[in-house]
Amino acid sequence: MRSRIIAWLGMLVVSGVPLLAHHSAVAEYDLEKPVKMSGTVTRVEWSNPHIWFYVDVKNPDGTITNWGFSGGAPGVLQRRGISRTAMKPGDVVKVEGFRAKDGSTNGSGNTVTFEDGRRVFTAMEGFQQK
Amino acid sequence: MKMRLIASLIVAPVILAAALAVPHAQRGAPAAARGFPRTAEGKPDFSGMWDNPKPASGPMRGPATVFDRGKFPRFKPGGEAFYEPRTGDPRHDEPRAFCMPSGFPSAFLGPYPVQMVQNSKYLVMTTEFMRVTRIIPLDGRPHQTDIEPTYYGDSVGRWEGDTLVIDTTQFKRWSLDDNYYGNPKEYRMHSDAFHTIERLTRTDLNTIKYDFTVDDPKIFTAAWTENWEFKLHPEWEKTGLYEMVCNENNRCPGGKCEKP
Repeated sequence: MRSRIIAWLGMLVVSGVPLLAHHSAVAEYDLEKPVKMSGTVTRVEWSNPHIWFYVDVKNPDGTITNWGFSGGAPGVLQRRGISRTAMKPGDVVKVEGFRAKDGSTNGSGNTVTFEDGRRVFTAMEGFQQK
Repeated sequence: MKMRLIASLIVAPVILAAALAVPHAQRGAPAAARGFPRTAEGKPDFSGMWDNPKPASGPMRGPATVFDRGKFPRFKPGGEAFYEPRTGDPRHDEPRAFCMPSGFPSAFLGPYPVQMVQNSKYLVMTTEFMRVTRIIPLDGRPHQTDIEPTYYGDSVGRWEGDTLVIDTTQFKRWSLDDNYYGNPKEYRMHSDAFHTIERLTRTDLNTIKYDFTVDDPKIFTAAWTENWEFKLHPEWEKTGLYEMVCNENNRCPGGKCEKP
């Protein structure tokens, strides 16, 4: 079952099907500033209007920055087989998305890749169309 | 004769059982109209979980269903203001980022389920998106008068045979649809003379033909109609609509993020 869900999520990524949040993504994120970083999940907020997850990312100078990433609406994700347990604190992940317009350490978390290569598509609307 | 009598004795209970298996309201309905539920009054029952309305044919132009610019009639003089440019101010360009309402029909056109519940007096349509609910009286009453314009308008329903016609007026000027992905520079708005006519016809168990007419006499020289359809998703009955409270954790309204 789990492998089916992952395969299906992979298809979503390939097919570019967007997941809608409560507004257009370009209102909050700068599509000219993609981010791609790895770290350890510290917290997951399974809340509306988007899920948020937080990742401790190690900087080049050795310090740690806690980044926040938003995803789709919880209901949309659940209906597509992504539950609140898809990602847990302690998971090591690579996140790809776009930085918040205010330049803060927040962004959209489009795609999450786990250490074993599994991918979870948590994106908001439209990012796949760029 | 004896054989005929025996055959009748065998066939009659079968016919009777078949008749009892057909709900009372469907008896006498044309054969083509059977295959979907009807109310006690014999009207099509739209109750169920439906995907958001989509074009019956042709490509989607983004994650939300939007109006087809190719169908728009000529503008009236000054009607071009409909295409209000985006200004870069998110409060103007995307009020939903601040949990302001989408309004009708935009709220019902995003990729969220729509649950319909119907009885003889009302059709209730709720979209998961912000849990917006329309309660549409079906008794053919006229529109209310002297009311304040609203984001979702005043809707009244009437039956034309098996087609439910919903007429909605008295909107405030607001977003027409979510066309960010069709043209990110455009912000389509309707006027306060916006008037919509929805025609719902259930064509089979899984489909509602949904013809959506826009009549905005302050902007366009004529009305135009989109041909959309709802598709039934009984598998969504198990969970129903999920909650969606916009203000729960809207951390980055307009791109300015709050600290977690």
